[in-house]
Amino acid sequence: MLVIAIAKGRFLEPSLAVLDRAGVRFDEDVTDSRRLIFDSSDGQCRVILVKPTDVPTYVEYGAADAGITGRDVLLESRADVLEPLDLGFGQCRLVVAAPNGASSADADRPIVRVATKYPNVATEYFNRRSIPVEIIRLSGSIELGPLVGLADRIVDLVETGRTLRDNGLVVVDVIAESSARLIINRANYQTKRSEIVGLVDALEASAPRAGRA
Amino acid sequence: MNSLTQIPPGTQILIGDAVRRRRAVERAIFAVFEGWSYQEIIPPMLDYLDVFVKGMGQELEDRIYRFIDREGNVLALRPEFTSLLAKTAATRLSQEREPIRLSYSGEVLRFETPKGGQQREFAQMGIEQYGVSSATADAEVLLVCMEALRSLGVSDFQINLGSVDFFGGIVDRIGLPDSEIDRLKDLLNRKDQSGLERMLDGLDMDERRKKILRAVPHLTGGRDTLDAARSLVRNDRSRKAIAHLESIYSVFEELDLAGRLTIDLGEIRGFDYYSGILFRAYVPGLGFEVALGGRYDHLLAQFGHDTPAVGFSFTLERLEQVVTRPFPAGRSAEARGSDASSVAEAVRLRREGKVVRLCS
Repeated sequence: MLVIAIAKGRFLEPSLAVLDRAGVRFDEDVTDSRRLIFDSSDGQCRVILVKPTDVPTYVEYGAADAGITGRDVLLESRADVLEPLDLGFGQCRLVVAAPNGASSADADRPIVRVATKYPNVATEYFNRRSIPVEIIRLSGSIELGPLVGLADRIVDLVETGRTLRDNGLVVVDVIAESSARLIINRANYQTKRSEIVGLVDALEASAPRAGRA
Repeated sequence: MNSLTQIPPGTQILIGDAVRRRRAVERAIFAVFEGWSYQEIIPPMLDYLDVFVKGMGQELEDRIYRFIDREGNVLALRPEFTSLLAKTAATRLSQEREPIRLSYSGEVLRFETPKGGQQREFAQMGIEQYGVSSATADAEVLLVCMEALRSLGVSDFQINLGSVDFFGGIVDRIGLPDSEIDRLKDLLNRKDQSGLERMLDGLDMDERRKKILRAVPHLTGGRDTLDAARSLVRNDRSRKAIAHLESIYSVFEELDLAGRLTIDLGEIRGFDYYSGILFRAYVPGLGFEVALGGRYDHLLAQFGHDTPAVGFSFTLERLEQVVTRPFPAGRSAEARGSDASSVAEAVRLRREGKVVRLCS
């Protein structure tokens, strides 16, 4: 039996939809239950519902064979997993944003204060540019940081850019494009190969933009 | 923090059953190593930092525990055994008749996030063979790995076999800077098709080569994989790598063990010193590999003696998680009491080879 970790929240319904198209279906409504473990109707798969940022962890440790997670979450987690498929949904950009009209020259500042819930991604981005930073870790409403003088920049996920605009922020740089990825545990890929390849093939065949985003 | 009670993160203390298990596992594996004529060597706990940096590469270099001695030399606590043994083989043992077969067991230290039972301090046990670059030598090392697993009652395992040369041959004359080749490698190692596609889109490269690179993540399976790979590439280095893997694979087909091997030409992860085959052993139920090995024909030249080499190591903390066989406790004690006569009785029992446990 294949164990697939999927994220609660905004990824839940599209994740279930791609699984459904690949033939992984459930007798009950997964979105309308408090349970966290569901077996598929044909008994071939088990889906576990976890917090979005925990999906890479479950997969990296092999507690789940596969998982569906945003590339943003994957980059931040630094999990050592296979990521064979882009599932096409959940398209966003990981960006650096600053208050509209603020100086764009980071070199002027002795240290740049960056508010983010992606401390690893942010640190790596600024390190690569030799810009000294102070990372301020927040867990939500990141846009508020520069508005109340907590930070000079933010590193955050942007879908349409509307939230940024409404808060007077502009994108300074795009760090990475993000969308939903199928990820696979490296060891289980070897020890449960035929089942996993079957799932990857079914998802690739059913997801229109898979692998070609 | 209370340094008198807290232990440093990533270190460990084995007690009771855990020690019995460790020693039993070591004995079983050493018996297999000795059965294939590998002689144990006990190298130092530390050496000059440069010894390790030569082989492991930048990424791992950052994870070495290092310090400066009183004379100002930069030393490192061993982060692995292969470099240490290579240095010994290339210097002290350079006049010995090849092939030289060495084995080892001991703790190594790496400053990294503990994962899958592998802490910052963990136990490695493995073999190295110097002097031969044949497919037979590679097959021997794989067979030793398999037999060691079986000797522990681990009969269900899968070994993933790849080659650094297959990928190397494809990118050799491609004219990409090293940083781009590393990026390409990373994408292939993650089987990230969409990332690969995006990178290839931006590369000025002929379509034929792009087609090969697109196929690499899918080049995994049995003999059919080698056939598919051969029909893709024309360069010498890749074709030699395939022929070499075929010779190894044939050995396992002859022995009816090919089912335990998976050819995976998309797997090019490992230390910088790897130069030929590369393999990892996986056991169902554990999300991490239990063994890692490969060929490193150019490492010994760094130490002044140019000779080929191949080897592998187990991480015992991981292996122990999949060994289900029980390790019974020792025989129970026979001497009791704490007066002079019981001491004499204990000595008598010891002379008979019995276990005693005095109550003094």
